[in-house]
Amino acid sequence: MCDHHDELKSNNKDFQSIEKQLDRRHFLKKTSLGLGALALGSLLNTEKAWSSIGTPSHTDAILENYNKNRLGLPHHLPKAKRIIYLFQSGGPSQMDLFDYKPKLVDMFGQDLPKSVIGKTRLTGMSGSQSTLPVAPSIFNFKQYGESRAWVSDLMPYTAEVVDELCFMKGMQTDQINHTPAINFFQTGHQLPGRPSVGSWLSYGLGSDNENLPTFITLISKNAKGQPLNASLWGNGFLPTEHQGVQFRSGKDPVLYLNNPDNYDGTDRKKMLDYLGKLNSLQHDAYGDPEIQARMAQYEMAYKMQTSVPEVTDISDEPDHIFEMYGKDSRNPGTYAANCLMGRKLLEKGVKFVQLFHQGWDQHIGCPDGLRNQCKKTDQGTAALIKDLKQRGMLDDTLVVWGGEFGRTVYSQGQLTDTNYGRDHHPKAFTMWMAGAGVKPGFQYGETDDFSYNVIKDPLHVHDFHATLLHLFGIDHERLTFKHQGRRYRLTDVHGHVVKDLLT
Amino acid sequence: MNEAPDFILFLGRFHPLVVHLPIGFLIFAFLLEILGRKKKFEATKAAIPLAIFLGFASSVVACVLGYMLSLSGDYNNDALDTHFWFGLATTALTLLAWLIRVEIIKLPNKNKVRVNISTITLVVILLGATGHYGGNLTHGGDYLTKYAPFNKKEKRVLATIDKVDDAIVFDYLAQPILENKCASCHNESKKKGGLSFQDSISIVKGGKSGATLIAGNALESEMIKRVLLNPDHEDFMPPEGKTPLTTEEIDILTYWINQADANFSSKVSTVETSEDIKQIASKMLGFKGTHKKGQTDLPTVNKVSEEALRTIKAEGFVLKELVFDSGLYEAVLPENSITENNASALDIKLEKLSKIKNNIIWLYLENNQLKDKHLKQISQFENVQKLVIDRNNITDTGLYALRDHKSLNSLNVYNTSITKASLKTFSSMKNLQKVYAWHTTINNNDLNEHKPEDGPEIILGN
Repeated sequence: MCDHHDELKSNNKDFQSIEKQLDRRHFLKKTSLGLGALALGSLLNTEKAWSSIGTPSHTDAILENYNKNRLGLPHHLPKAKRIIYLFQSGGPSQMDLFDYKPKLVDMFGQDLPKSVIGKTRLTGMSGSQSTLPVAPSIFNFKQYGESRAWVSDLMPYTAEVVDELCFMKGMQTDQINHTPAINFFQTGHQLPGRPSVGSWLSYGLGSDNENLPTFITLISKNAKGQPLNASLWGNGFLPTEHQGVQFRSGKDPVLYLNNPDNYDGTDRKKMLDYLGKLNSLQHDAYGDPEIQARMAQYEMAYKMQTSVPEVTDISDEPDHIFEMYGKDSRNPGTYAANCLMGRKLLEKGVKFVQLFHQGWDQHIGCPDGLRNQCKKTDQGTAALIKDLKQRGMLDDTLVVWGGEFGRTVYSQGQLTDTNYGRDHHPKAFTMWMAGAGVKPGFQYGETDDFSYNVIKDPLHVHDFHATLLHLFGIDHERLTFKHQGRRYRLTDVHGHVVKDLLT
Repeated sequence: MNEAPDFILFLGRFHPLVVHLPIGFLIFAFLLEILGRKKKFEATKAAIPLAIFLGFASSVVACVLGYMLSLSGDYNNDALDTHFWFGLATTALTLLAWLIRVEIIKLPNKNKVRVNISTITLVVILLGATGHYGGNLTHGGDYLTKYAPFNKKEKRVLATIDKVDDAIVFDYLAQPILENKCASCHNESKKKGGLSFQDSISIVKGGKSGATLIAGNALESEMIKRVLLNPDHEDFMPPEGKTPLTTEEIDILTYWINQADANFSSKVSTVETSEDIKQIASKMLGFKGTHKKGQTDLPTVNKVSEEALRTIKAEGFVLKELVFDSGLYEAVLPENSITENNASALDIKLEKLSKIKNNIIWLYLENNQLKDKHLKQISQFENVQKLVIDRNNITDTGLYALRDHKSLNSLNVYNTSITKASLKTFSSMKNLQKVYAWHTTINNNDLNEHKPEDGPEIILGN
């Protein structure tokens, strides 16, 4: 083919260093042959395609060793093998769900004391209100389990599993509005463009199942709210194959997996083989790692033709499992169904599954809004915990529940006996983790009587990230990627591992 | 001994540098004197008066700087006095030696050569003594002989103990840290900042700045405060160039001050001691096996060759190294790799895997037609801590093979054919913490009937 490119060498220093470390020609030859051989194998016999899990081609082995030696990972024995992160987008109200503040009842409607507010920045949405009336939660709280954790009546199912949960009640973020705050949680930075947590894990630890993406995102179809976008599961400056793959919330999580009508797929091997050659030539000439990423994606797409239908088929789940997750779970794309699907993906070796459930942004009509949100999520969440536990997977699976910030104790808009709204509050909110390596039935951090300031053990987003990576055997200060002249990490120059949370 | 002006102390700190000039000059003069006795080197004698004079001049400077340094008050008075007078004596004798050498003083003795040699010899002896006492001031009195072959290690010999509980917190845990990391500057002869860690009395007495030790309040105690400062802080201890304390060491000192109330005779058993501290303590004291149940240390194993890894991967296993370069692996045989059609393949696969059986820490063989006979093979994987063999047709008989396994702490056997008969097997595994037994015939009644004291937690599910 296009031989005139052969002598072209990259003039980019980073590329040159890659060129030096890898015998590219050898590598590429193996890649194209490897892909072809795999394609042939799987066309002849699907069983074989599955058995190729764990028998990475020689190419993969070279790459794997190269990456392994470069990163020196894991830095220590991991506790977690996989994670499912239940992102509650919008900012759930901590004092209506978990952060019980009984003293507020006596202060109903009074102006929130200046001493509590201090120098807090308020949003433009409520900052100009003439009063900031204290709005106690209208929901009842009870203590549950051996850990005697407080949970409101909104979450009867979660209340059943509190002894598995590790509550973080002193969460703090720097960001007061949705987009920067959710970016901050997902990537460690308020502006889009940095790699997401899942991408860092994929980059650092690689895949456990070569036939499925390492990082999969699921968005509930039964919720609306602040928009989500692909930068939240993006790879930033990391190699492109580490980006999260979004599954559609519906009957077909991935489109066009089946061969089109009247095409039996027998010559696909030829097509991919040739495409591989073309891409190899291109890569040989320019040394652009994006070409490798593209080749990896083609290969992944091809494997997903077999692997995805199997993993997304929930027809063989017994009735009692559906009952546990609630009736929504039979309706693909709902939060409950995504929880069930999440479990299945984790079982198959997907390392990072992230669910997004929008609609936690209760500026007005907080009580009704929360009732609705909890009805859709509570049972699925709790069922996931129980299901992982009975399968022994909670041992090495980390479960995270939380939003991008909390909500204010004062009412945004009018406060009545039965209704109030709550504005964004980044200074104190509640999240929980469960499973691999975190203390079950434990509570860390404490807020003041207004759930406004953290008075004990604050836990910043950077610390949360550092702790999360620690559970995966990663020292957050040592997982770096050089980009635009400096080394970046998820926690940038911040973050401490919170050892108190760990078993 | 009040604070001298900073500038004086600044100059004073050049003393340790400048003292080496007279040492060099005078020893050089001494060597020339000896050499000069040989005919061949007679000419070198001409340099002797100059060498002695330079030695004298630099001695004077060193004395002045030394006096300035002594004003800092960081040094033990007795030891300081000795060094001080020896220094002056050396300087004075050097002057005398020079005067004799240039014959300003003419000694009546006719044999001039002998006079010269004996004075310079005396100078060198004094010089050595002065240097020795100076060294003792800086490094502490036992610095020189600490590792000498004839030294009988004056260290208090601590009684041998066989468990952490018997250790006296101060003697066995805190003192060795102070000795190692602090005592080179804070001892009876050096007393930097007026502080000595020589014995309990001087520790309680403390140093010049702040309360060195407040029983029960480590964070306010100067000795803890200083080691917790930012290393760039000028008050950070130990000072630049010395090895800082590790977090474990700080934890132990904090534990001694807070939990043991800075008592010098409390034993670990009488003090509230967290698991973490116990772990650190048993590590310090060189005990093994005192760790929490379920927290097995990682074994040390040989690395596995790339070739061996490749053959095992070719059998379908996914191998991941659990700690970089440790040779410890997680091995996963993906579900359904073995079906009824190729059931016999498992024997071969396990056989291949068993070549690196000591390297496997986590082993996953879920839903892969595993039978009782394979468990016998698996029981040879001595270092496995997590064994996941759910959804296989295994029974109590097969599981019995694992009864003596010592490393296993998590066992997943859900959806297998085991019954309550296996509860005994679980209890006999000494390190076992968790058993997942959902979808077996084991039910809550069985668990209530059979409740061993120290058995693992059995998780049944809903």
